[in-house]
Amino acid sequence: MSGKNDKKIILVCDTDGKQREADYADMITSVLSEEKLDGQVQVIRVAELGIYGQGVIVKILPENIIYKISDETAIAELVSEVIKKNKTLKESVLEDNPKQLKIVLRNCGIIDPENIDDYIALDGYQALSRVIFDSSPEEVIAQLKISGLRGRGGGGFPTATKWNFARRTEADQKYIICNADEGDPGAYMDRSVLEGDPHSVIEGMIIGGFAIGADKGYFYIRAEYPLAIERVQKAIEQAREYGLLGENILGSDFNFDLDIRLGAGAFVCGEETALIASIEGKRGCPTPRPPYPSIKGLWGKPTVINNVETLANIAVILLKGAKWFAAIGSATSKGTKVFALTGKVKNSGLIEVPMGITIREIVYEIGGGVFEDKKLKAVQTGGPSGGVIPKEFLDTPVDYENLQKLGSIMGSGGMIVLDEDDCMVDIAKFYLRFCVDESCGKCAPCRIGGFQMLNYLKDISRGKASQGDLLKLENICNSVKKASLCGLGQTAPNPILSTLKYFRVEYDQHINDHRCAAKKCTDLLRFVISKEKCVSCGMCSRDCPVNAIPKNENKEYIINQELCIKCGKCFDVCKFDAVIRE
Amino acid sequence: MSKLTRETLNKIKQEHAKPRNNWIKVGMSTCGIAAGADIVLETIKQEVKKRNLAVTVGQCGCAGKCYAEPLVEVCIDGVPQVIYGNVDKKSAIEIIERHVANKKLLNDHIYNVKGK
Repeated sequence: MSGKNDKKIILVCDTDGKQREADYADMITSVLSEEKLDGQVQVIRVAELGIYGQGVIVKILPENIIYKISDETAIAELVSEVIKKNKTLKESVLEDNPKQLKIVLRNCGIIDPENIDDYIALDGYQALSRVIFDSSPEEVIAQLKISGLRGRGGGGFPTATKWNFARRTEADQKYIICNADEGDPGAYMDRSVLEGDPHSVIEGMIIGGFAIGADKGYFYIRAEYPLAIERVQKAIEQAREYGLLGENILGSDFNFDLDIRLGAGAFVCGEETALIASIEGKRGCPTPRPPYPSIKGLWGKPTVINNVETLANIAVILLKGAKWFAAIGSATSKGTKVFALTGKVKNSGLIEVPMGITIREIVYEIGGGVFEDKKLKAVQTGGPSGGVIPKEFLDTPVDYENLQKLGSIMGSGGMIVLDEDDCMVDIAKFYLRFCVDESCGKCAPCRIGGFQMLNYLKDISRGKASQGDLLKLENICNSVKKASLCGLGQTAPNPILSTLKYFRVEYDQHINDHRCAAKKCTDLLRFVISKEKCVSCGMCSRDCPVNAIPKNENKEYIINQELCIKCGKCFDVCKFDAVIRE
Repeated sequence: MSKLTRETLNKIKQEHAKPRNNWIKVGMSTCGIAAGADIVLETIKQEVKKRNLAVTVGQCGCAGKCYAEPLVEVCIDGVPQVIYGNVDKKSAIEIIERHVANKKLLNDHIYNVKGK
């Protein structure tokens, strides 16, 4: 970069995010001014340097070296050695070891998604041009096979195999569809890719069309993603103007075009057969497989359906080489995975990590640890089709097989951190209610079984179920899993089964002792006001929606248990922790 | 725009791949906009215009740090390239005044440093 600036900058960062008595930036500044160096060095307090749980650290620019600063002696040493004498304190250097690896998100947050030239500048459409002029469909599929790329929508089916099925099936017309009907609660990986780098997905689709012999593709995007739709639409138009879509792409004899179809917000339409029905203008209901869409799909023609993230991988793999990609990740799962890290974690956001990383690394070294430094209880992956992974398995390397062994799934990439305040019965109920709401109603196991499972869960959370009910619940879970028509029903019991597997104690507490240890299930709670802590401010009385706390100025306040609807308002508004849940 | 061939595609790549300085980028994905990135982008555009600064203002997608949105990346000659987080209207103006005009970094808002 131009502009010579040899002035040093000290970036000070508190990686624990705690309130400290002493401000280290001020301390460094005062040492510098004692040494009369304050005019030459800039001290800046930064919010974050991507390192957590290491106390106070400083980064020295322009050298780009990080030191751990534990006390005043360390500050004095930093100033006298590093700043004054320009030395490196080898013993105190902190290695910056980034855990993330951005392949799918390579351009997200870097390029302007609405400008195709930005994408082209960073090797955009180079893979396509290479494929069209220097390669053949068979070679593309062979490369994908070597790369080991598997479907990122959750199932993990090898992409090369899927493409090959469609390629080998003879037909006058074939299709490729991008499944962007992302519906898992708390997951937004696909939305971010489409909003941040739509051309990477488009390029993946064109290459897919070339490989399987399709000249038409569809984006199936949920209507709740207006910005993603707008950006994809703009990107398609720009690609068309450049002749990257349409007839004779890049002057070759290959034709391919794309259109957008909107999903109207039905979760089941993320299931491929229901998605096809929806594009065809029919009601979004799944149909039995086989035949698989790659043999008989949209309008009865061979159709490849890939997830957004899978397609965003294609161009990079072909450009950097299948072997490069296959070297990243674990034995069975290659490459990276994008996760939407949410829940009780300090830094919620979108992350991309190589397969094989442990959940502990994700939560603590990327996520910065559990919110408010509470105890981690479990991590939920795979949304309503997945399960929970308890803290005992935090060191499990993340890949398709390992997560499945633990009773969860990779899923499309939702990762929700749960702490000690989360009740597992409540979590299971939340996900099951989602599936019951979203069940299309076509097959009985999912429609009726889901309803029954939810009833049992409601009873358990109210303390009105017996151990016999729990056995019945388990029984229905297994039947629904086996007998449902599509993935939605087959996986709907997973959150129950996995919480039962690891947290049966919590179910037992609800059933036998009518107790919810996490204090989430309000039917098992009583709100009372502590005599000692109450200062008679009257806040609870004012906010109670059912007037269950009568005004009682200068005297203690009491909650009328008969009127109380356990909404928790008083608990939230009390500033003196006088309202207690018991 | 005319239809591209392999050669013209490569030409565009070469023209646009040149490193540029003096730009500001605001993360304008749903996560950013929900946190107020549209207001920040508008403010930065106005301030740059008002002060007649030779700085390009653009937008980009989600850089992943959704907890710190709105994110603003600033690359100005002679100052380290940084990403500011939790930017609002007030700190957006500060970025222009302090970082762009006076070539000094801001306290408490830096979420990533991209070297010199």
